[in-house]
Amino acid sequence: MLPEFETVIGLEVHVELLTGTKLFCGCSTAFGAEPNSQVCPLCLGLPGGTLPKLNEKALEYTIKTAMALNCRVAEEITFDRKNYYYADLPKGYQISQYFYPTGRDGYVEIHVDGQTKKIGIHQVHLEEDTGKLLHVGSIISSPFSRVDFNRAGVPLIEIVTEPDIRSPEEARLFLQKLRSILQYIAVSDCKMEEGSMRCDANISIRPAGSKELRTKTELKNMNSFRAVYRGIEYEVERQRSVVLEGGEVIPETRHWDEAEGVTRAMRSKFVSADYRCFPDPNIPPFKPSPEWLEKIRGSIPELPDARYARFIDEYGLPPYDAEVLTASRELSDFYDAALAGYNAPKTVSNWIMSELLRLLNATNTGIEGCKIKPEDLGKLLQMVDNGTISGKIAKGVFEEMFATGEKPEKIIEKKGLTQISDEDELSRIVDAVIAGNPGSVEDFRKGKDRALGFLVGQVMKETRGKANPQLVNKLLKEKLG
Amino acid sequence: MNYLNCSIEQLAAQIKEIQDKSTPDKSTPPQEVSRAIIGRCTGVQKEFNVFISLDEDIISREIERLFGDRLPENGQLKLAGAIGVLGDNIATSRYLTTCASRMLYSYRPPFDAGVVARLEDSGAVVAGKTNMDEFGVGCSGENSYFNSIKNPWNKKHTAGSGAAAAVLAGSAHFALASDARGELRQAASYCGVMALKPTYGRISRKGLLDYASSLETMGIAARHIADLAAVLGAVAGQDPDDVTALPSAAPDYLSLLGENGGIRQAAVPSNWQEAPYLEEELKDLFLDQLKKLEGVGVKIHFVDLPHLQYASLAAAIISAVEAFSNLSNYDGVRFGYRGEGKHLQEMYAQTRSEGFSSRLKKFLTFGALVSTAKYYQDYFLRAQKLRTVIAGELEECLQEFGLLLTPTTPFQAPELGAAGGGSARSREELLDPADYYTAAANLAGLPALTFPLHTAGLPYGLQLLGKKEDELTLLKAGLLLEKENPLAWPALVL
Repeated sequence: MLPEFETVIGLEVHVELLTGTKLFCGCSTAFGAEPNSQVCPLCLGLPGGTLPKLNEKALEYTIKTAMALNCRVAEEITFDRKNYYYADLPKGYQISQYFYPTGRDGYVEIHVDGQTKKIGIHQVHLEEDTGKLLHVGSIISSPFSRVDFNRAGVPLIEIVTEPDIRSPEEARLFLQKLRSILQYIAVSDCKMEEGSMRCDANISIRPAGSKELRTKTELKNMNSFRAVYRGIEYEVERQRSVVLEGGEVIPETRHWDEAEGVTRAMRSKFVSADYRCFPDPNIPPFKPSPEWLEKIRGSIPELPDARYARFIDEYGLPPYDAEVLTASRELSDFYDAALAGYNAPKTVSNWIMSELLRLLNATNTGIEGCKIKPEDLGKLLQMVDNGTISGKIAKGVFEEMFATGEKPEKIIEKKGLTQISDEDELSRIVDAVIAGNPGSVEDFRKGKDRALGFLVGQVMKETRGKANPQLVNKLLKEKLG
Repeated sequence: MNYLNCSIEQLAAQIKEIQDKSTPDKSTPPQEVSRAIIGRCTGVQKEFNVFISLDEDIISREIERLFGDRLPENGQLKLAGAIGVLGDNIATSRYLTTCASRMLYSYRPPFDAGVVARLEDSGAVVAGKTNMDEFGVGCSGENSYFNSIKNPWNKKHTAGSGAAAAVLAGSAHFALASDARGELRQAASYCGVMALKPTYGRISRKGLLDYASSLETMGIAARHIADLAAVLGAVAGQDPDDVTALPSAAPDYLSLLGENGGIRQAAVPSNWQEAPYLEEELKDLFLDQLKKLEGVGVKIHFVDLPHLQYASLAAAIISAVEAFSNLSNYDGVRFGYRGEGKHLQEMYAQTRSEGFSSRLKKFLTFGALVSTAKYYQDYFLRAQKLRTVIAGELEECLQEFGLLLTPTTPFQAPELGAAGGGSARSREELLDPADYYTAAANLAGLPALTFPLHTAGLPYGLQLLGKKEDELTLLKAGLLLEKENPLAWPALVL
C-alpha cells in the first residue's frame, strides 16, 4: 500500500506599500515610469550619498499590518543590513529588519470546508526593494543586462507564515485573505501581476502523522493566485514521485514555469548564503510612542472576518454571499451603503453578486472604478417593488447606470421605460395581438401552454418590454378564457 | 604677503588692508591674494604631495567672488577669506572626490557635502582636496593611489594625511578631514598642529564617504585654538538630512571661548604608559605638560579605566565590519573603476581586485570575516559590548573630572617605507598601534582635541577628551595650553 503523505507549506509574501515615496529617500514609487527616472544619489548608492531617512508612513503601514495580522509589535524599531552582491542592489546591502521584525507571532483565519483555520504569522518586517534587471528577449539570449533602479528602495513588507498550510487550496485561500486584509487597511494595492504582491512558497512533504519538518524546496516566480495553486500542486506531486521512487528531495530553489506548467531547479541551497547581517549604523533605533501606536490601532477599520460575521449574523446572508461580498473592502462598503437605502439584504446581495460582478468582470473594472452609486441601486430596486419598472427592464437600466453613472429615474424617464400598467391601454394591445396571431390562439385553446408564452412575448415586443407582465398574463387568460 | 600664515582672526586686518588698497587706485588685490595662495599650495604640493585636487582657476574665481564688489558684506562673515582644504573623502561637485583610491580616481559626485555650503556661507574658500590613506582607513600617509604624503618637518617621515600637512605648511588656515579611529588627530600629532574631532553628530556626515559610519565624523585641523573654534562654529549644527546628527543647535564657540570659567581639574588614565611602542621622549613631554597644568591650577587625578586599553581592538573590528559593508557599493556597475569580466561575478572580482589596494582589501576581508555567522558572536558582538563598557567608563570619568588627558599617538610620525619602522607596523597589522589612545573617543562618540608638543625633532601630541557636546571645555583647555607652550613652524623653502 502506498504511504500517505502530508503537505507542509510556509509562505513568504512580499508586499509593496502605497507610500508614494521610497523607504529612505523622497523618490517616487509610481509603477511603470521611464527606467531610472525615479532615482537619487541615495537609492543609486552613490558614494557619499547614502544617509538614509526613514519614511514614517512606511513604518506606520508596517505597524498597521502587524496589528491587523494579530502580531506583537516590537517596542523598538531597528534596521539591519543584509550584505550581498547583485547588479540590482545598488548599495551592496539591503536594509531590512533581520534581528527584530516589527511584528511577531500573529495569525490569519481562513475558511476551509466550512471550518475556520488559523495560519500562524511568524513575522512581519519592513525592508527596501531591489532594482530590476531587464533583458533583450530572454535572459539566456540577451547579450547584456540593463538595470532599472526605479524600484530600488521602494518600501516592502515581508510577511512570513508558520509552516501551517497543508494544501495548495489553503495557500490560495490564505493569500486571498491576506490580500483582503491589506486592502482593507489600505497599505498596498496587492497587484500580483504588477509585482506589488509577490509570493514564494517553502514546500515539503512528510509521512502523515509525522511531526518533524522534512527537506523543503523553495518555489518562486508564481505571479497569480492561480499560479500559486498550480505551482504548489505540481511541486507536491513532484516531491511525492521522488520519494515514492526511493529518491530524496534536494533542498533547492525552484522556478515555476507558467507556460509549461512545471517547476524547474534554479540553484542548489546546499551552502546557504551568509548575509553577514548587522545593525545599520546609519539608522538609530526608534521607539514608537504609545500615543502613536494607539492612533495607528484606531485607524484600522472593520476587517474582513468581523465583517463576514456581521453580514451573517445581522443580515442573515448565507456564508457564501458573505465571503464573496467581504473579499474586498470596497465591495462590502458598497453593499453596506446600498442596504442603507433598501433594506433587503439577500435581494441586494443577489444583484451585486450576479449583475454587478458580472459587469465588473466583463469590463475588467475594479469596484473602485464602478460608476454606480450604492444608493442608486437601492432606488432602482424600489422602483421594481412599486411597479414603476419590471425586473427585466431593471437589468437593462442597471447596465445603463453601470456604463454612464446616471441615476435610474433619469434613465427610465429619458428612455420612456416606465411600465405600462394601464388596463385599457394594455387591453387594446392584447386584442391586436390575439387578432394578429390566430395560429397561436388556436394552439392555446388546444391546450398548448407554451403558446401563451409566445403571445405574452408578442405583447412585450409591441410595448418594447414595458408592459406589466402580471397584467398581460391576466388579460390574455381572460380574453382567451 | 602674510595672508596664509596669519590666523583667521588676523585675517580681518588683512582684508581691511586689501580693502584700503583697492579703493584709491582700483588695483587688483584679489589677484595678489590668489597668486599667494596658488603659489604656496603648488609649492607645498611639489614638496610634500598633500593634494589630490588643486585647481588654480577655482581658487582665483573664489577669491574674486569674495573680494569683488561684495567685499564690505563678505568681510563681515565669520570665516571671511579663510582658506580651507577638505580631505578627499568629503564630497564636492567642483572637485573630484577620489578617496585616494583607484576605485574613484575620476569620480565627481553630483552633490556637495553639507559642510561645503556652510563654509561658503561663512565666507571661506575651499582651495583643494587633500591626500590621505585610501578611503580614510588609517594614518600611514602611504596607502594612497596618489602616492605618499611627506611630513613638512622631515620629508623622510609621513605626514599622516595631507589635511594636517597642508595646515602645517601654510597652504590653508584649516582643513576638514575624517576621523574614524583617530586618523585626523594622529596626523595632526605627526605634523604638530591642532585638531578637534567633535562629538559624533555635531557636524553633519552628509556627503562624507565614510568607511565606519558609527565611529566616523569630520574633524578640523588648524594652527590656532581660536581658528578651531571659529571653523567649528561655522560647520557644526543640526541637519535634517543626517538622522545621526545632534538635535541641538551648536553654540558660538569663538565668542564663548574668552569667557571665564577656568579648568580646575583633569583626569589621566593610571595605566597611560602601557601603550605598545610608547616612546621615552613622549613620556617626559607628557609628564611635563601635566606639571605645567598643575602650575596653572589644574589638579590632575590618576584614574583607573581598565577597559580603555581595548578601545583600538574594538574599533578595529567594528570599523572593519562597517567598512566591508559601506564599501560594497563599489562594484563597477554604476560609477568608478570597472574591471573586465566575462560575467557579472568576474567583473565584480576584477573591479574590486584592481580598484582597491591590497592593504584595504585585507582590512575589508577582515570585516567580512568577523561578520560571518560563525564569528559574529565572538568578534563583532563582543566588540560592541566592549564599546558599551568603554563608553560607560569614559562617561563616568568625564562626568567627574570634565577632561581626560593622554598622549595622542605613542610615537612620532613614522618613517616612510622604512622596514621595521612605525608605518611598517601599521601597514602589516590589522590592529594599528597608532589607534591606541585615539579610538576610545570614536567608540564613545566623545569630542577630542589634540594639541602639538614640539621637540627638537618631530612633534608629538597631547590628547584631551571631553564630555559629549562639550567641545567648549576642550577649546578652553587648548587655549590654556596655547598660552603655556610656544607654537613652532618648520622653515620651508618652497
